Amino acid sequence: MILSPEVLTLFILNALFAFFALIAFVLSVKIFLKWDTNATDQTQYQLEKQSFLSATIIKYIFIIKVPLFLFFIFTMDKISGILPGAMCAAGVVDATAYGVYLILLKILNLYIFAYWLVLHNEDMKHETQPYTKMKFGLFIVAFFLLMSEIVLEWVMFSAIDIQKVVDCCGVIYSSTTSSYISMLFRIQTPLLLAAFYGNFALIVLFYFLRKKEIFALFNATFIIISLITLISFFGTYIYELPTHRCPFCFLQKEYHYVGYVLYIFLFIGTFYGLVTGFVKASKSDVYRSYKVSMLFTFLYVVLLSIYPLFYYIKNGVWL
Amino acid sequence: MIEFKGVIKSYAPNKTTVVHALNGIDLSIKEGEVVVLRGASGSGKSSILSLIAALSKPTSGEVIVDTKKISKLSDNFASLYRRDNIGFIFQKYNLIPNLSVRDNILLPLVPLNLNAKEAQAKLQSVMEMFEIGHKADTIVKNLSGGEQQRVAIARANVNNPKIILADEPTANLDEKLSLGFIEILKELKSLKKTIVIATHDPLFFGLDFVDREIEIHNGSIVR
Repeated sequence: MILSPEVLTLFILNALFAFFALIAFVLSVKIFLKWDTNATDQTQYQLEKQSFLSATIIKYIFIIKVPLFLFFIFTMDKISGILPGAMCAAGVVDATAYGVYLILLKILNLYIFAYWLVLHNEDMKHETQPYTKMKFGLFIVAFFLLMSEIVLEWVMFSAIDIQKVVDCCGVIYSSTTSSYISMLFRIQTPLLLAAFYGNFALIVLFYFLRKKEIFALFNATFIIISLITLISFFGTYIYELPTHRCPFCFLQKEYHYVGYVLYIFLFIGTFYGLVTGFVKASKSDVYRSYKVSMLFTFLYVVLLSIYPLFYYIKNGVWL
Repeated sequence: MIEFKGVIKSYAPNKTTVVHALNGIDLSIKEGEVVVLRGASGSGKSSILSLIAALSKPTSGEVIVDTKKISKLSDNFASLYRRDNIGFIFQKYNLIPNLSVRDNILLPLVPLNLNAKEAQAKLQSVMEMFEIGHKADTIVKNLSGGEQQRVAIARANVNNPKIILADEPTANLDEKLSLGFIEILKELKSLKKTIVIATHDPLFFGLDFVDREIEIHNGSIVR
């Protein structure tokens, strides 16, 4: 097991999350089962107080979890320095069988937790708190996902063997290896770019048409398409190396930490895009979600597009 | 206007003790009515006021003001309800001692984000009504008890609330000042305010402008 200060920090925070989340979970189950917004009995008034406590706990766990995800990536990147063979966080992710699942679970949780926060804010805007049962029901599911994440994180860091040589990102994300990920990198660049810019064009189109469900749907597909395109095509221009495909190296200092900016833009853009379709909110709130989503997705696409353009202007050739 | 339906209010100061402040109160107060809640200390008068002001929630039962179930409001909405509907006069005035009279009265207007002109107009109006305009810049801690009471009343009225709640308002005043306060209440009644006063001061009993006196004993209405 690696016990660097960063890993210890993650473990301590996870222990605190687990403790408080357990309290919130017990209360959430009670609220989910017994909440009756019209009741005026003692149980209901107690549940109303407990819902405030529970929501406060959940809110703060989730608010801390967002920057903590970035810290987790930073930790993975940092400990890659002590794993033989690893050049960046990709090597740490690949060092055990759990790394990929942990990353995927963390991303899923991030979207679910952010959705919970939106639902909670919407709930608090109404006197009748119409989403209370739903948000605590969602937390019951989120609790198990959170616990799975905490356990998986413990298992992953415990399973890392610092004596064992691991693959570097150049091997893991190479198009010549036989992994499922590598298959994605064999997609022809014109097709990939058509999908990327086509998807973005559809997001813009449905932004102006104000079809929120379709807008949300294309934001969902954009998460996947843009990640593949980022790693497979745009990343090579960030690294200025035609064969280097890695979703982690551009998080490092030598690339000005641009990866953090890209991932934050993508997350905020697509998250608010999904919110437009999945939360029943007032017109002004939906309009705000549209605008935030469009702004961040636009920034993401512009920032990505700048790299190949600048490379071409500078060198007169494409990679 | 104000309705209590089977309201029970219990406090649990520790795990073994439960104090029953209100035992299933049913009460109805009409708009513009002046009601005096009589009773000894600890009888439950202040609990009734704090429930009307949505400062606390019942243990069970329902408090309705103008068809709004205020006992069911979340903290955010309870604050908005208080801001828009309630003027509260406390026994110890609850003024901020180091602020001037003007600043104390302006405090409830802060969340309304009024422009300076509107705020000034409201301030001027209540300072004139309660005759404290000449003390506008005086620091509150330098005022007499009676003057502080007037500032507290002005502050309670600056938002032009529909309901005025007064909790033992004359407990710290001598008889002369108490009678002055009663005159102010008369004026407020003429402005069609609904007024609920919790007191055991005999000066309030049998007053001609008081519509009803309700006797509370051990958390129950006895008369």
